[in-house]
Amino acid sequence: MSFSRLGLWLLRRERSSGEWRVLLLALIIGVGSVSTTGFLGDRIKRAMSEQGASFLGADLLVTSPRPIESWPDHTLRTSSALEFASMVSRGDAFQLATLRAVDAAYPLRGSVRIADRPFETGTPRPAQPPPGAIYVDQELLALLNAQVGETVQIGEATFRIAGVVAEEPGQLGGVFGFAPRVFLRTDEIGQTHVLQPGSRLTYLYQFAGEPDSLSVFSGALKPVLDSTQRVIGSREGVETLRGAFANADRYIQLTALISLLLSVAAIAIAAHHHALRHYDQAALLRCFGATTAQLRTLYAVQLLTLGLLGSALGVAIGALMQQALVGLILPDAATRLPSLGLAPVGVAVVSGLLALAGASLPALMRLIRVPPLRVLRRDLPPLPVAAWISAVASGAVLLLLIAWYAGDAKLVGIFVGALVALVGVLILLARLALVAGRGVQKISYGPLRFGLAQLLRHRFDSTLQLGAFTLALFLVALLALVRSDLIDGWRQQLPPQSPNYFLVNIAPHQQQPVAAYLSQHRLQASALYPMVRGRLTSKNGQPIAETLPPDARDSNTLRRELNLTWTATLPPNNTVLAGRWHGERRAPAPVKGMPKVGNPLSAKADAELTPPVGTPLLRSDPSAEISVESGMAERLHLAVGDTLGFQVGDQTLAARITSIRSVKWDSMQPNFFVIFAPGQLDALPASSIASVYVPPDAAGVLPGFIKTFPGITVLALDKLIANIEAVFAQIIRAIQLLLGFLLAAGMAVVVATLLASLDARQQEAVLLRTLGAQRAYLAKGLWSEFIALGVLAGLLASVCAEIAMALIADRLFDLPVRLHPWLWLALPAAGALLVGMSGWLTTRHITRVPPMQSIRALN
Amino acid sequence: MAHALSQRVTTADGTLAILSEVELAVKAGETLAITGASGSGKSTLLGLLAGLDQPSAGEIFLLGQRLNDLDEDARARLRAGRIGFVFQSFQLLPALTALENILLPLELTGRADARERAAHWLDRVGLAARASPTPRQLSGGEQQRVAIARAFATDPEIVFADEPTGNLDADTGARIIELLFELNASARTTLVLVTHDDALAARCQRRLHLVAGRTAEAASA
Repeated sequence: MSFSRLGLWLLRRERSSGEWRVLLLALIIGVGSVSTTGFLGDRIKRAMSEQGASFLGADLLVTSPRPIESWPDHTLRTSSALEFASMVSRGDAFQLATLRAVDAAYPLRGSVRIADRPFETGTPRPAQPPPGAIYVDQELLALLNAQVGETVQIGEATFRIAGVVAEEPGQLGGVFGFAPRVFLRTDEIGQTHVLQPGSRLTYLYQFAGEPDSLSVFSGALKPVLDSTQRVIGSREGVETLRGAFANADRYIQLTALISLLLSVAAIAIAAHHHALRHYDQAALLRCFGATTAQLRTLYAVQLLTLGLLGSALGVAIGALMQQALVGLILPDAATRLPSLGLAPVGVAVVSGLLALAGASLPALMRLIRVPPLRVLRRDLPPLPVAAWISAVASGAVLLLLIAWYAGDAKLVGIFVGALVALVGVLILLARLALVAGRGVQKISYGPLRFGLAQLLRHRFDSTLQLGAFTLALFLVALLALVRSDLIDGWRQQLPPQSPNYFLVNIAPHQQQPVAAYLSQHRLQASALYPMVRGRLTSKNGQPIAETLPPDARDSNTLRRELNLTWTATLPPNNTVLAGRWHGERRAPAPVKGMPKVGNPLSAKADAELTPPVGTPLLRSDPSAEISVESGMAERLHLAVGDTLGFQVGDQTLAARITSIRSVKWDSMQPNFFVIFAPGQLDALPASSIASVYVPPDAAGVLPGFIKTFPGITVLALDKLIANIEAVFAQIIRAIQLLLGFLLAAGMAVVVATLLASLDARQQEAVLLRTLGAQRAYLAKGLWSEFIALGVLAGLLASVCAEIAMALIADRLFDLPVRLHPWLWLALPAAGALLVGMSGWLTTRHITRVPPMQSIRALN
Repeated sequence: MAHALSQRVTTADGTLAILSEVELAVKAGETLAITGASGSGKSTLLGLLAGLDQPSAGEIFLLGQRLNDLDEDARARLRAGRIGFVFQSFQLLPALTALENILLPLELTGRADARERAAHWLDRVGLAARASPTPRQLSGGEQQRVAIARAFATDPEIVFADEPTGNLDADTGARIIELLFELNASARTTLVLVTHDDALAARCQRRLHLVAGRTAEAASA
């Protein structure tokens, strides 16, 4: 028989041994965790690739905040669309929607599927609805409580709902969109009168044709576009999206990697214990004539077999779990995603085998170096393997694994650094907790004293178990807190009667009627802020990008049009940090402010709030003064005294920075990056924005307001927050599902360490029972030990979670730090339950076996 | 054959001589008992003779090969199928059945009739009906019978036995001795055993007595 077959034969005979089982279990958990995320990421990425050109709806897409009048010569097929946000209402129900006005050619590639009823797959049809009709997605139907065939109001026009958008190019699922989709005809936008000067519009120009013509056209196009206009090739579009997704995917994969690494700890312990128990076997085989190479083959085959088996089972579990994740994250896309791919299987199996190799290498190296003389002298240890060799070998394998998942060197550094720091802190905390446990042990009695003594005696094991379980509980708790705390906390710290609605796109002629309407209904509104959109182009006469270091050139502030306003009064929530404010210092009106561009709220708010570009006569006035927000000043290296150039429509304008302000962005009030002194922008036809507080009992006023002023967009902040919260909760639920793997891996570490100490425990139990200890006493002792371990892990995790949350709340979100008393009960209880159960299940039989039988077994 | 065999170990307290200048030659088919008090170096000598360890000085020839010239793996290859072992603590693999424990060295040598031979040897030691229990389910005497069957199953040229009755009561020990010598006689194997049991030593053709690592006397039975 070859040694590989012999290895398999011995493995089969030992399959019920505890170490193999733990090793296999830990491997299944680790591989299950990485394959779950692997499968999911792969399916989404392939969905993006497979859609190819249909992803953009064209071969080439140009987006612009302004219409583009002239194009380089070309022979391509074209289509144009206009996207903007507006209110859609039906009776008293109203909803902000993303409207896409399309021509008959849209889309040039791929298809739009329209269904007659919600939740049907529909048939491919032109996206342009029949005259007087619109297509909406099913979410909007639900929000407006409407059905296909009924009518809705957009601005001043009424449209019939002619179908449900079941699928459109570039869409995987509707979950991440905040505003439902509506398709309407380009030639019917005018009837709605929703486009005011100042409405934020995105012009989408699509092109399709031969690759050669496309590349010539694309080459000719790029020089004539400015930084706010983008050309996206179908390949590039997919790549951009895929790149963005890959970043998010990478962090999720790293979460899975933590489970894998925790499994590695369990595997290492199990493998070490397996080696200890097999020194005699190895020595005997050497006596029988086995060489080092043959032993290596034998044990490597055993490990490889377990590795492949564990990986296969892990991958199977991963396949099931990813389906559950798809249901959580992309419920709409579940049927449209491609089937499971093979690539993640390879990645997961290789990860599993690498983890196994890294974890069990030192034990294996010692096992094959057992001297044959051990058969005569049991005390002979295996020949020492240079510690550095096994450490370097294992370390290299694990580092390879981390590097593979983290992708770039910087992330590897951060991950390894954070991991080492976390492990260090956890070991320190675990040691401190055990010292505290010694104090408790001294004043306890009976089985509890016995149990605590056990915990303290196996100090190394206890530290490891505590560390692993604390880590798992801590991460689970942290996510739960992030979800519940941050949004709630932010919401709670808003003063009562903070504005809860923004009124956007108020045309100059509407200002008086709107004010009258609000005052008639006793609604408290802020001042009106005029807004104009403009692009920052230069600093002190030099193109702005050239004044910046390379890593700052990619700033989002430079790629988009900014909302520019003017006022002589320093708004509340603004503080001048440098320079001198250009007007009065007294705050006007009760409340004001606009959400920050770039924070969760503002991304949406900004899309709705920005006014149009008119065609004003602008004068470049060297004495023009502006105030710049401090964050923007820092990012773009701006200082008081610098002169900035803006492109507003086709005009340029220069102004000198006379002050730098800090802005409280999360105040839910209108805020601006750049505020001009009155006099420079006044000539522009700007629409205005105002915020208003509508008490819950007055919410009925809004439908009336929307009917009276159909062109004004009413942005409900409550709804936006709820939307963000829902998406956030969805993602966190998905990550929590992954953290289930982490908890399981933590339990595997507990079981592995307990198994390693099982013989010693059994010996102790036999002795105690022989001396007269009852089974119940031993059982209570074991329970005390594991519950104490679980409670300690829970308490440590609570400490870590509170500290982490305090840092996150204080440093990142500027929220008041608060304690979570329930955490201090829930985590120790969860720890006691999980550690108690796994500990008891692993060790209970030592209290049941009769002492005589135990003695024989140990001999 | 061993010539001027010495074994020294270095400890924290200095160098300790376990064996000094031991001379020994064993003929094929001979039975030899190595006796002596605890710590006299009996097991060390057995280990050296079997090629399980390297001497600090002196030469050992096993099956015509000078062991000093062979590394660990070469010595292992020399042992494969040609040397049998019986140990005081039986050294049966706990996960394998009685039959499988006998099968193990046969499988290592790749014999085609491994299973039949294992069954045959199980029968020879009187345990034909006890093929499937694992060592835990066997008595001490039964375990040593299995170990003896395992030692002879590969038709070895030499069997080394280290205190084969050390863990057994007197009656069981006596029966094991009977079995060992009966099988040895019928297989015409060279038997080298370590014991401090005079009755067992008396059954051997020769006896080598060690005192503090030195040959004290050699007697022929």
